[in-house]
Amino acid sequence: MTMKIYAYAVIDSSDKIKGPLSGTEGAGIYSIPYRDVGIAASDIIDECLFSSAVKDIGAGPAKDRALTHEKVIESLMENFTVLPFRCFTVFNGKEDVLSMAEKYYSGFKDNLERLYNKLEFGIKVIWPGDIIRERIMRSRGKNNGLTSISSPVKNFVKEKLERYNIDKEFEEEADRCIEAVDDLFSRFYVEKKLERLKTNKLLLSAFYLVDKEKEDDFKRLFEELKNSPGDLKYLFSGPWPPYNFIHLTPYPEKVFGAAQEMFDKGASAQRVERRLMRLRP
Amino acid sequence: MNRIIETNAPEEFVEEIGKLRGALPKRIDANPKNVEKGLAKLVLTLVELIRKLLEKQAMRRIDAGSLSDEDIERLGETLMKLENRMKELKDVFGLKDEDLNLNLGPLGDLM
Repeated sequence: MTMKIYAYAVIDSSDKIKGPLSGTEGAGIYSIPYRDVGIAASDIIDECLFSSAVKDIGAGPAKDRALTHEKVIESLMENFTVLPFRCFTVFNGKEDVLSMAEKYYSGFKDNLERLYNKLEFGIKVIWPGDIIRERIMRSRGKNNGLTSISSPVKNFVKEKLERYNIDKEFEEEADRCIEAVDDLFSRFYVEKKLERLKTNKLLLSAFYLVDKEKEDDFKRLFEELKNSPGDLKYLFSGPWPPYNFIHLTPYPEKVFGAAQEMFDKGASAQRVERRLMRLRP
Repeated sequence: MNRIIETNAPEEFVEEIGKLRGALPKRIDANPKNVEKGLAKLVLTLVELIRKLLEKQAMRRIDAGSLSDEDIERLGETLMKLENRMKELKDVFGLKDEDLNLNLGPLGDLM
């Protein structure tokens, strides 16, 4: 039986975490300080990690553990800016945690400053993809002149070209809808991440980083959008920890130092860029 | 923290998000009996990706009107043969169209 460390989040303080806060398997949460940041963690027996339940995050103890992980991060968010770890992030011991903290410290600081007083919201939009595709096909059917088939090859090319043009129109229509939704929220977010057409119907999965002061405005706007007439369906969720807005590079000061040195020696921008690409994790 | 999760179409979102969950990477099944099929799936996925890219690029050029009739005929024949050959290979290894994809984690599906 070996004790390991389960990590929840990096927090913007090296002080002790106040109040009793329970984590995975009911263990108490504590902070491992590194310089002026801390890593919120709890102890865990390694046997717990390799139980069969871990295989399926959607059910059983693994699901409970995922929910506990999320709950701990939410509690931490009330008092700190947090950089959440992925669920089931485990270190062999305190030395490993500190070694990781040293490697990413500069990135932690940048992210903690950028994400101070910010929250993440998610918006998913469903549109009637099948109906829109059919409408495009109908409108093209009248004008495409597909009746003049002269050879199997030409027929093949015409079919492919038709599908290509339908896909193109479909995507252009999707882009117009996404832009309309995104424009509405543009007054309130500071950063965004948009994923389009993950399925034929799931038009948009948007993640917005919002100032805490604008949380109510953001929610109000969603209510208006939800009740507006039209074919679009919406799912709104949040506030969440800023899962989608954390960008980390180990030892960024070394990477940028190397770039600066190359510039000083007269290297071209392209050469520096190539070198930076190689240094990226 | 007052978190809300709100929607005007819960069932539709459950269905669509369910589809995405199905696309999450599965565990690697390193079974010696199906290693050949696994390898074929990987190779054919990459070939299919290249074939689709070629096809899209060809359609873009045809659509732009930058190819002569002879070019289109030749290109069409090549693409048709490629598509037929892919169908045969999929049959040989018992693979369906939806099998030929790779989940690239945060980047989404390859195709």
